[in-house]
Amino acid sequence: MEPNTNGNSTVSNATMSSATVASVPSLHGEVPSSKLNQLTESLKLEHQFLRVPFEHYKKTIRANHRVVEKEVSAVMSSLSDAVDLSQDDAVQRLNSLVSRLQGLKRKLEDGSKVEHLQAQRCRARLDHLESAGADNISEWNNTRLKRILVDYMLRMSYYNTATKLAETSNIQDLVDIEIFYEAKKVIDALRNKEVAPALAWCADNKSRLKKSKSKFEFQLRLQEFVELVRSENNVGAVMYARKHLAPWAATYMKELQKVFATLAFTSNTGCETYKVLFEPKQWDYLMEQFKQEFCRLYGMTLEPLLNIYLQAGLSALKTPFCYEENCTKEDPLSQESFRKLASPLPFSKQHHSKLVCFITKELMDTENPPLVLPNGYVYSFKALDEMANSNNGRITCPRTQEVFNYTEVRKAYIS
Amino acid sequence: MITLFLIAKTLHFSNFPNSIRKSTGQKLHPAPFPLDRHRRQQILSRKTISLKFLQESDQDHQALFILASIWIMELNSIKDAFDRVTKKQKISSSKSQETIQQITQEINDAISGIQSTDHKSILNELKAKLKEIAPLTQLESTQKELNIAFSKYTKLLEKQFNPDISKSYRNVDFDLHTVNQIIAGHLYREGLFEIGDCFINESNENDVIERKTHFLEMYKILESMKSRDLVPALNWAAANHENLQKNGSDIELKLHRLQFMEILQHGRRDEALKYARTHFSPFADHHLPEIQKLMACLLWAGKLESSPYSEFLSPTHWAKLGHELAQQFCNLIGESHQSPLSVTVAAGVQGLPTLLKLMNVMTGKKHEWQSMKQLPVPVDLDQEFQFHSIFVCPVSRDQAGEDNPPMLMSCGHVLCKQSITKLSKNNSTRPFKCPYCPTEVEVGQCRQLFF
Repeated sequence: MEPNTNGNSTVSNATMSSATVASVPSLHGEVPSSKLNQLTESLKLEHQFLRVPFEHYKKTIRANHRVVEKEVSAVMSSLSDAVDLSQDDAVQRLNSLVSRLQGLKRKLEDGSKVEHLQAQRCRARLDHLESAGADNISEWNNTRLKRILVDYMLRMSYYNTATKLAETSNIQDLVDIEIFYEAKKVIDALRNKEVAPALAWCADNKSRLKKSKSKFEFQLRLQEFVELVRSENNVGAVMYARKHLAPWAATYMKELQKVFATLAFTSNTGCETYKVLFEPKQWDYLMEQFKQEFCRLYGMTLEPLLNIYLQAGLSALKTPFCYEENCTKEDPLSQESFRKLASPLPFSKQHHSKLVCFITKELMDTENPPLVLPNGYVYSFKALDEMANSNNGRITCPRTQEVFNYTEVRKAYIS
Repeated sequence: MITLFLIAKTLHFSNFPNSIRKSTGQKLHPAPFPLDRHRRQQILSRKTISLKFLQESDQDHQALFILASIWIMELNSIKDAFDRVTKKQKISSSKSQETIQQITQEINDAISGIQSTDHKSILNELKAKLKEIAPLTQLESTQKELNIAFSKYTKLLEKQFNPDISKSYRNVDFDLHTVNQIIAGHLYREGLFEIGDCFINESNENDVIERKTHFLEMYKILESMKSRDLVPALNWAAANHENLQKNGSDIELKLHRLQFMEILQHGRRDEALKYARTHFSPFADHHLPEIQKLMACLLWAGKLESSPYSEFLSPTHWAKLGHELAQQFCNLIGESHQSPLSVTVAAGVQGLPTLLKLMNVMTGKKHEWQSMKQLPVPVDLDQEFQFHSIFVCPVSRDQAGEDNPPMLMSCGHVLCKQSITKLSKNNSTRPFKCPYCPTEVEVGQCRQLFF
């Protein structure tokens, strides 16, 4: 078998390999394949990380394109009218069209600058995923935790902290602060019981919301209707319903009828069915609804990433032993707050014994077998051997303080 | 081994990315630009990978290379798809510019033409020309190509990644207050005090102040150490002398040693001797050899670098000791050494892929999942997440607990108490055969184990 395919000398091949080794460091190093498999598996969880900036990029491109289309077709129709104008008017019209086109051109240039930035962000994320390797894994994991925390803060509307954390850690390109600021406007307005920004957002994303069969806009309209009823502006309410609610009648007849009945019951009704519609918590509900629609639109998980990872981690770590009094501090489940979060989650399951030495905290296996003291307590070979060597063959059980001879120790076979 | 050799051979001679895809049963994605940068890189890496592949003899490494190369190929194909998007976007963008330019040009031509001849005919001519250009159709066609690139990229992402990692999420009340407390604690323990304060402010949490003061002290000590000032660290160690000794830590001596070397390094031999006299003597009982070595350093003052003790000068001691101090500090204030939030999230990252796979086979049993008391499959975590000894009876597959403890049989094999009761048919005097060896065992001789 020849050393290479295209007849190059072995030497050049060797230099080539060292060059590539440098460019793909994650390939090499002393890593067991299980670790590497773990790494790839964990990278596959990063769908949202790539998807969100891409959706943003796509959205910008489409919006920019729509502007161009609209302007060009406006110019075209304006031109066809010009035929019937007098000469002076026609020249004037043509000149105004030219300046309009120039304006559009400028707009387009600004637009492509934004597009370029967003494309860079998408690429930065791809590069970040590619950079994950055995040699920088702890740093990479650290960044991941920060990304997860920023995601949580943004979803909880802690914008200042999110921005600060991203800035100090220099991960602005790896988190979606800009995108969430778009949501902030709408959420703030809903908190002040205003629907206009939310409606504008719905109009902006009309086609996508329609595709996912969202009824968020309908719910906003219902709320506005209810507010009109609350202020006893019945005529206004009916007018509003005719204009904005009627188009939804075919799909959501039942809800529509229910809300319409508020006209008869008014806001101080005692009837439970209608009373809830006037409660302020309806606004909180709308806010939640908006957050969900927003996340769905950008391809984000509906739950904060932090909660998802915490749940998975807690279930994997939860054992009955975590709740015992002598649980080690290193176990997160020794803390009340983590126990509280874990309480509705399932316990982990084990198919095989996993024994951790009380003294060294190392795993006991065939290399480092478990040894039994006469009192039934089990420690690892490594720990007892060391203890015996430095204490003239005597062993003190750290849990009962009993003293034994190293010769009294026997091996246990754990399968 | 022969198969591996064959794989290596194919890797070497054939189109590497494709062949590896075939071997993993994946669809082929022929690259559309045969000679672009990525492609060249792929070809380059294909050779080196296959070469390396042949050189590596142990199986673990071979598996590693296959896995690593598959992942890199997948990422490359994703990058290619993204490049296609940006390329189409550029085409579409310049097309728009061009179209606008064209229309502007035609209109300008018309304006200059109008001055001389009948404006109506000029306008009609312009109209006809623009109709011929058909700007909207032109825009539409580039946009269509862009849309195709969009959806291809989105689909590729969906295929290569886990599109919904919340599938295994349990819809339970995840208390906001508790999560916020955990985050605030985490930020403080990582030394991000300003961000922690900001977080507390924004989230309206306020019972983490105590932890903050603890960690503030710790980071103050560590900061001083970074600028080679050991005084705060020594003060802390002296104040916690007894507790440190109880935990069997010799960090106090290590700090003194560092201080001693620092003095000596600056050539102040008398001062160093005085320092050693006052501070080393309390440790003489347990650390005599170490102290002897340190005293010997006095002889080499001024030329320590060339002494047999030059190792004491290594700057890594500072970093190591800083690390150890943080560990001991956390220990004394009753905190774990690592942030529990980092530990849990890291465990989650490792466990989540298994849970998601589980959800794939559990489709239709979503309801069951929400109420399950124990996971139906084991989730394997690294050793660093193993905080407890778990004994699983090899006969019954039950996890040992207080009511069913592990028992050591006279032959050295270990079973759960319930299994032993069953094997002995509940008769404590009747011997039974160990399921793993020929030994006859009596219940009376079995002893409970404590891990």
